[in-house]
Amino acid sequence: MRAGSHFLLSSIFFVCMLTIQLDKGFGQSTDSLSTATLKKLSLEQLMNIEITSVSKHAEELEDAASAVQVITQEDIRNSGAKTLPEALRLAANLQVAQVNSSQWAISARGFNNVLANKLLVLIDGRTVYTPLYAGVFWDVQNVPLEDVDRIEVISGPGGTLWGANAVNGVINIITKSSKDTKGLLVEGAAGTSLPGSGSVRYGGNLGSRLSYRVYGTGFKLGSTLDTNGMKANDEWPMLQGGFRLDWEASEKDKVTLQSNIYHGKPNPDAADTAVIANGDNIVVRWNHAAPATPDFQLQAYYDHTFRDFGNGFSEDLKTYDADWQSRYRLGERNELTYGTNFRLMDHRVTNLQQFAFLPGHKMLYLYSAFLQDEVTLIKDKLRFTLGSKLEHNTYTGFEFQPNIRLAWTPRENQTIWAAVSRAVRTPARIDRDFYLFLTPSITFISGNDNFVSEKLTAYELGWRTQPCQSLSVSLSSFYNVYDDIRSAEPGPPPFGIPVTFGNGVKGNTYGAELAVTSQVTDWWQLKGGYTFLKKDLSVKPGSRDSNKGSAESDDPENQLLVQSKITMPGGIEVGTVIRYVDRLPKPSVPEYLGLDARIGWKVNKALELSIVGNDLLYDRHSEFIPSSPSPREIERSVYGKVTCYF
Amino acid sequence: MKRLNIHFLLLLTGIFSCAFQTSGEREYQVKAAFLFNFTQFVEWPAGSSEATGSPFVIGILGENPFGNYLREIIAGERVNGHLLTIQQYKNADEIKLCHILFINPTDNKHIREVITALKGRSILTVSDAANFIDAGGIIRLSTINNKIRIQVNPAKAKEAGLTISAKLLGVADIVSPNNN
Repeated sequence: MRAGSHFLLSSIFFVCMLTIQLDKGFGQSTDSLSTATLKKLSLEQLMNIEITSVSKHAEELEDAASAVQVITQEDIRNSGAKTLPEALRLAANLQVAQVNSSQWAISARGFNNVLANKLLVLIDGRTVYTPLYAGVFWDVQNVPLEDVDRIEVISGPGGTLWGANAVNGVINIITKSSKDTKGLLVEGAAGTSLPGSGSVRYGGNLGSRLSYRVYGTGFKLGSTLDTNGMKANDEWPMLQGGFRLDWEASEKDKVTLQSNIYHGKPNPDAADTAVIANGDNIVVRWNHAAPATPDFQLQAYYDHTFRDFGNGFSEDLKTYDADWQSRYRLGERNELTYGTNFRLMDHRVTNLQQFAFLPGHKMLYLYSAFLQDEVTLIKDKLRFTLGSKLEHNTYTGFEFQPNIRLAWTPRENQTIWAAVSRAVRTPARIDRDFYLFLTPSITFISGNDNFVSEKLTAYELGWRTQPCQSLSVSLSSFYNVYDDIRSAEPGPPPFGIPVTFGNGVKGNTYGAELAVTSQVTDWWQLKGGYTFLKKDLSVKPGSRDSNKGSAESDDPENQLLVQSKITMPGGIEVGTVIRYVDRLPKPSVPEYLGLDARIGWKVNKALELSIVGNDLLYDRHSEFIPSSPSPREIERSVYGKVTCYF
Repeated sequence: MKRLNIHFLLLLTGIFSCAFQTSGEREYQVKAAFLFNFTQFVEWPAGSSEATGSPFVIGILGENPFGNYLREIIAGERVNGHLLTIQQYKNADEIKLCHILFINPTDNKHIREVITALKGRSILTVSDAANFIDAGGIIRLSTINNKIRIQVNPAKAKEAGLTISAKLLGVADIVSPNNN
């Protein structure tokens, strides 16, 4: 941490120098500054400006008794992020590490890994984890970033509302209504680590109550480097298209239909044959909100994803999901939220002789119901929330995920909250059904029918304040108690095979997350946070975990994020993102300081130019070392982008 | 190291100070930009600006919430050759030549009185008051999810002899008064 604090200070120094220089250059003209820019904006762009720039999206988030950070559309645009995982770096309460061109390790509150399995990710209400390993294939979670309205990142368990796998956090990616994406948008970009990318989007109205958009996007991300600094040849091309319809059926009812189709060829192994990842999905959602009657949301989706690993092994997953949620105000004091969910995952793999998920075809059923009551103990001051989810899954049967939350709002702009919750990570196919054969008769890894859910009891305490319109501060702390975490148990002597997955690790983690958003002046916004995480995991009696409890995660103890957004006269914007990530213990990765910068110029209503530099401080650096494929390093890169609005 | 610490302190005072921006400033900056945009997406009937030298008037009825922003945005701008100017009114009967009227009402009853007083005149009425459309106003700037949306009542625009362009109608929410 010695070198770390040096980094930290130099990053702060950098931001300060920026301020001081700007004060000299533009201090006098700050008043007229935004006016010139505002005049250049189209109606659509004006409608997308956030009027209180300190993010407090829905009022609900501001009062939520949990650790929520929001990445806004402005944050994403201003950062110059090219892909969704890059955009997720803008939440200080996430651990995000790029592994190679197409793979990422993303988690909250630790346990980060390429196969991280304690985070739930939703894109417009669609759960995107794979039952193969209970994690996310980030290389197919592609959202046109200009269509994102916001990304809500909740660190801490969300099992009561979201269900199994919302153990350490929930990422909720919400795209704009098609009402807000009218007209034609064409953009193209290319650069040193970006052979090329382009998108076209068109949106409009069909009648006065129905709006739509269609889009097509494609990119090819450049190769990362191997540890000798040579191109690894893991380029990642991807094509995607889709549409969204929003129908305001009545004052009270809104219906959304959206669909995407994609085809990608990630190649993390830099093999001769790339992975082929194809998929399509369709979501229909009906929201009903009327005074004096229960609000409800009814949603159904179908998601198909296919992945040919290029070596004969392939996975085909069809998910069918139906969800109903309702909210009802009962008297003066109680607000009830309740709902049910049904999900079928039709999971089929084509096995190899040595490498197999058995049986190759499995139907995974998930059904659940939840009930939560928010009781107002003292009006506008003290709220108490009690709720639980009861969920049934194919592997372990019923799981119970309750939570208790208390929120005290001594003054309008200040909330102190506390929560105790339980969440589980239910078994994935890898835990129960995975086999690795050395020869047809010698099993090296064997599935374990006795693998149970990993369990978490989390104790959280948080404070959130907005002393004025231009400043908000949130501090969350947690103490997490884990049990039955996955271990690798060696088999009987003499050879110690077959190895099975067991539940032999337990332990606790604790930490804190600080998030600050400040509209320093009219033309300068600073946003960022600091995250501290400490883990103490140990092997349970009776377990002989070959990794001594450490295999599941590789997390930094300290992380710092500063995002600066500056608007200058003449439609010029300067965005800077500084990330300090402490060293990773095992496999060891040195600490690093990420510096990304973007300069954008709104030439006129129809044209925007930008140039973005990523990882500017090093020629190349490593962010995560996976157990496979071989480690890669990320090169300093620059790209330029042209965006046209018609 | 000392140098760094001073910068650090400077930064902290910057971040943790609330003095820079009073609430709602940005909101009205954006709303002022909308008013300016309306001049380009609405057509007034011929004769609503009399002589060539006469100005194009954006009126504010009630207290001015825009500070200097509106003035800065329209400074030097013209609509069909007519110079944009701002007029400030206390009462509806002060309104003479006016093209766009932003109403910052004192109370709900006030809105209806103003709308009634302006009946038959080609004035684009705009407000952010909650019941503005119900009271017979033409454009309401509403705030949803921290962003501004445009609600338009085309029937009232037609009554006033105004033509709202398809472009503006395309991004707006079309609404009608809810009289029951």
